[in-house]
Amino acid sequence: MKRPMIVASIVAVLCFHVFAVAADKCFVCHEAMGDKASTLFKRDIHFAKGISCSGCHGGNSNTDDMQEAMDKANGFRGAPKGDDVSKACAACHSDGVKMKSFGSRLPTGQWEALQSGVHAKLSLSGKEHIAQCTTCHGAHGIVSVSNASSPVYPLNVVKTCARCHADAAYMQTYNPSLPIDQLEKYRTSVHGMRNAKGDSKTAECASCHGSHDIRSANDLKSAVYATNIPATCSKCHSDAEYMKSYNIPTDQFERYAKSVHGLALLQKHDLGAPACNNCHGNHGATPPGVESISKVCGTCHALNADLFSASPHKKGFDALKLPECETCHGNHEIVAATNELLGTAPEAVCSRCHSASERPKGYEAAGAMRQLTDSLEAAEQDARALLDEAEQKGMEVGEAKFTLRDARQARLESRTAVHSFNEKKFTETVAKGLSTASFVRQEATNAIDEYYFRRIGLGVASLIITILAVSLYLFIRRLERQQARTGTHNPQSNQ
Amino acid sequence: MKNLWSNLYVWLDERVQLESLVAFMGKKYVPVHRHSVWYYFGGVTLFLFIVQVITGILLLLYYKSGEELAFESIQFIMSKVQFGWLIRSIHSWAANLFILAAVIHMFSVYFERAYRKPRELTWLTGMLMLFLGMGFGFSGYLLPWNELAFFATKVGTDIAGVVPFIGKPMLIFLRGGEEVSGATLSRFFGFHVAVMPGIFTVLLGIHLILVQRQGMSEPLHTDRSEAGVPRTTMPFFPNFLLRDLLLWLIVLNILAILAVFFPWELGTKADPFASAPAGIAPEWYFMFMFQTLKIIPAKVLFIDGEVLGVLLFGVAFLLWTIIPFWDRKSARGEHNRAITYIGLFVVGYVLLLTILGWVL
Repeated sequence: MKRPMIVASIVAVLCFHVFAVAADKCFVCHEAMGDKASTLFKRDIHFAKGISCSGCHGGNSNTDDMQEAMDKANGFRGAPKGDDVSKACAACHSDGVKMKSFGSRLPTGQWEALQSGVHAKLSLSGKEHIAQCTTCHGAHGIVSVSNASSPVYPLNVVKTCARCHADAAYMQTYNPSLPIDQLEKYRTSVHGMRNAKGDSKTAECASCHGSHDIRSANDLKSAVYATNIPATCSKCHSDAEYMKSYNIPTDQFERYAKSVHGLALLQKHDLGAPACNNCHGNHGATPPGVESISKVCGTCHALNADLFSASPHKKGFDALKLPECETCHGNHEIVAATNELLGTAPEAVCSRCHSASERPKGYEAAGAMRQLTDSLEAAEQDARALLDEAEQKGMEVGEAKFTLRDARQARLESRTAVHSFNEKKFTETVAKGLSTASFVRQEATNAIDEYYFRRIGLGVASLIITILAVSLYLFIRRLERQQARTGTHNPQSNQ
Repeated sequence: MKNLWSNLYVWLDERVQLESLVAFMGKKYVPVHRHSVWYYFGGVTLFLFIVQVITGILLLLYYKSGEELAFESIQFIMSKVQFGWLIRSIHSWAANLFILAAVIHMFSVYFERAYRKPRELTWLTGMLMLFLGMGFGFSGYLLPWNELAFFATKVGTDIAGVVPFIGKPMLIFLRGGEEVSGATLSRFFGFHVAVMPGIFTVLLGIHLILVQRQGMSEPLHTDRSEAGVPRTTMPFFPNFLLRDLLLWLIVLNILAILAVFFPWELGTKADPFASAPAGIAPEWYFMFMFQTLKIIPAKVLFIDGEVLGVLLFGVAFLLWTIIPFWDRKSARGEHNRAITYIGLFVVGYVLLLTILGWVL
């Protein structure tokens, strides 16, 4: 049953082709002339679908009269130029009905997508856009994107893009600030190396930047805009099925989204917060090496990284092959650092390596540092509570509130100073904060005392004023009685 | 002790003829009737003005004008200067009570028709002082250079700017430029401590001399001397003056209580680049005008709503100020009901719009 059907289908397709090609007189003549275009066209997907030369060039392909075939009256337009190239493609590719009639399941919005992208800027001539369909797909030898010979096949696309993007002279005319070493970097990345080895599943240009609607990285809608990068990377890296053969975890995005960086970038839209590419690189994406982690984190956390590099821990971590910052803070799910990380309690990271019996010096230092940082936090909270109370009582404590910022600053500095793993240095920083908190506490206490003093003062003043008022009232009464008796100024009888 | 006072009196009398002044005061009487209580509001207003002058001078010892100094200097006064908080709070509270007392005094004079001949000039100087008092409030409000004051001044001067023809130059003059800035603060400070007090003192002098010269006006409806009923009076000195003093002591106590229990807040420093905070409102005595401008439609016929509002208020204030010159009936000693109705309408309108301004 199956066999006759397959045979019938093959026959039908062959007949269709023979008919179509036989009908395309343009192709017959041009092929006979041996020109390059018709040679390439023979392997073109459009040729396979029975689309004649006139589909793009216009004219009458059913006649062997050259004059008639290429008569403008018959719609002949020759080789389309500039934007007319893309418009000629869009005539079918943007028409769902036509595409369906060719049995295509391709999306029909490529031309529109191209117009919204960065390549739709005007070219130097000002008469056409920078890129046409043929710029990437070629003209007469167009094959399916899944065909390994296609310039947009995953293994070829990087070279296709690099034709322009690695050309300094060309790129300078459009965007001199854009680097031209993307391909070079890409080849050093895990993606690039696998791609070079023939792994078409790994990410190439279009995987991250898109294909037709490629937008500038500064464009909010771009897949590589800072806040969109984690989602773009997670398209593959969170797909357990897709990543199965690579044997790497697929929960990075989930963990990153919960991290202090993820919350800042994805929820607060803080563009200063790092996305995947800030630690792994973008075109040269690769996991940072154990010894370079503090350098990677140090691009933002510069002071912490410097202190760590000069600390005794650097040497020890390198010897034990411990990934520097990551050992204490984790990698993708880095949460905001709290005092709990420090100290000798089981939940403190110090206690993973230090104990009273093993490396006791560090154990003691960690305990002392924790105590100090707790004291500073408590002193700051205490001073703040007193300030709030004074403020609630209507006292002016604006200056003290401002000073309290110094205590907070000292606490933040102490968080940084931890990375020196030097107890003396840490104590000096905390002492600054403790002294400020103590000063603010005194100011707040004075303000609260002043509040009660004012009330007592008011009581005394009110009493004096009341005594004066009552005395005056009694004096007026006595005076008026006296006046009434003597008749000097009787209010009731004067006229 | 008594001898010392007598000697001092004789010494002064020889030089400035105090005898005639004492004789004049001894013959001065204040009418006593069921509305006499309103007479005291003039005295209360005067007392509050004196408080303003004294506390204002004390504040001047520490206040520094300027965008970068004003807020900080008030902060310093409130937190570091001995009793600075008290002086500043009393100054702020007394300013509001001063306007309140002046408004009550003005309406009592209006309803008693005390502005009628021969007291037209007393009314006129009083009205001018009330406007100046509002000017004191408006200019003083900006001096701490806090957020609320900054935006209230912006809105207030914007309104002044819509007056046809002179609006724009007036706005530039008030602000010292296109926007509210340090230049506005400097000139408001100048108006508040030099220009306005100077003019106010002259007007107050004329007002008090006129009151002393002409005495207190008796309302038409309580004066029944023509019916043979004897007029009831009390000596100005010492009876009325002592009662005045008694009331001043009570007001002083109220001021102290307000200053201690409700110290005037300083808020946050003005930031000209920040967006206006929610709930920007002018001082309560400007609220009825502000609310009126808010409810007038954007366009009334061909006139801009705001312009129309400002013009109407301008005309209303002018008519109110010159009332002794067009209320001929009261001047003739006849009872003018229309004046009472207009007054009641104005009081009702001001109260209603003020309440609406706070509620809405």
